[in-house]
Amino acid sequence: MSHYALVIDLDRCIGCHSCEIACKNENGVALGSYWNKVLQVGPVGTYPDLHEYFLPSQCMQCENAPCVHVCPTGASYRDAETNIVLIEKAKCIGCQYCMMACPYGVRSWNTEEKVVEKCTLCRQLTSVGEVPACVGACCGNARYYGDLDDPTSDASKALAAADSASIHSMPDVGGNAPATKCILSSKIATWKVSDLA
Amino acid sequence: MSIQWSLVLFTALTGLAGWMYACIATDEFLCKTKQTAFKAALVALVVAIVGGVASVTHLAHPENMLNVLGHPTAGIFVEALLTGLMCLCGIVYLVLVKREAGAGARKAFAVLAAAIGIILSFAAGYSYMMASIPAWNTILLPFAYMGSAIPAGVAAYLMVAALQKEEADALKPYGMFLLVGGLIAALTILVYMCLAGLGQIGLGIVAVILGGLAPAACGLMITRKPEKASTYAVVALICAFAGVLCVRCAMWLVFDKAINLFGLTI
Repeated sequence: MSHYALVIDLDRCIGCHSCEIACKNENGVALGSYWNKVLQVGPVGTYPDLHEYFLPSQCMQCENAPCVHVCPTGASYRDAETNIVLIEKAKCIGCQYCMMACPYGVRSWNTEEKVVEKCTLCRQLTSVGEVPACVGACCGNARYYGDLDDPTSDASKALAAADSASIHSMPDVGGNAPATKCILSSKIATWKVSDLA
Repeated sequence: MSIQWSLVLFTALTGLAGWMYACIATDEFLCKTKQTAFKAALVALVVAIVGGVASVTHLAHPENMLNVLGHPTAGIFVEALLTGLMCLCGIVYLVLVKREAGAGARKAFAVLAAAIGIILSFAAGYSYMMASIPAWNTILLPFAYMGSAIPAGVAAYLMVAALQKEEADALKPYGMFLLVGGLIAALTILVYMCLAGLGQIGLGIVAVILGGLAPAACGLMITRKPEKASTYAVVALICAFAGVLCVRCAMWLVFDKAINLFGLTI
């Protein structure tokens, strides 16, 4: 099975929020809601040894996704072909249990349609061979999309080129195993996500 | 996160109904308050149905609910199934009592309704155990849900029995049931609130007093002065139900995700 996900090179991310805006434009995400949000981590340390980085955040494509497990109707599901966690809005009953269960709080409530939404890795684009809008809009070439099981994919190549000590993912919260990876080398900043709680 | 009143009422009312069925099943064996069986079962059924309806009001698209058949292991489905089964057993029990059916069949369906109701009072809390919310991710939560429902259900049964003008001495065992249930409620609520809900310790203390200690005191008084059982039962029911609501509200108020990247609240 394929394992499509994002790899984000934080060494290259300049925090311009282009990915966030491209996501909103492409997917019609309402004001105040997000499918993708750029966070600033830091600055931390003591002058002159200060460092910070930008952390674009979205659905982490958990291998053992709690949102899928708690969904009573199967509206939150894993696509059999791509392994991407998606939402079938027509099945959503609006109970919001998936929002409670999401380990990272990266799901949004669509107040107009009264359903839960999240990053789909732009299925409308990727299903026809294009890259997600956030990847296409990234002016720092910091975002890579592809099948993590395919060594020729952009995402796999980015990981292969990185020092293994620089590859990070969000903390595992009860065995959910987030698939999205971040590259952050210690020369830029220290990976520090505990402050995001 | 704000208090989800639909879910608070659902878990409170179905828990109360479940423990009322526990009293009904107990009396099928004790045969102390036989006049109460039908009306208590009727009240329990109505309360369970109202609780079920309350849960539906939480849903934005209940019309999509039939899709649960495609994913029957989720907590919401288990709760819905248990509620349905409890009501079904309760209806069969009502028919059996009305038709003066054999004691064996009555016992069987009363015990079934009680067992499902007790499990439901636990399962309603178990569904909230999620690794993403540390204050909820403890087995103490479903025990607090179940424990707090005990005195509410027993007090409701006692109130119906008192209204049916059952003999005073016949109510003594249920006074003892209320006493023990109240102490269990106080203990389970206290342990959960101390270990998981320190952020709402004030509401937790109120929940312990109203949901556990006050009904336990009423239960003790019923064992000593059963002729005043109706008064104590009403006081116990009001206190116990307020306590049930307090512990569930406190659970929602201590909601805090381990990591909340978007910083959004539900």
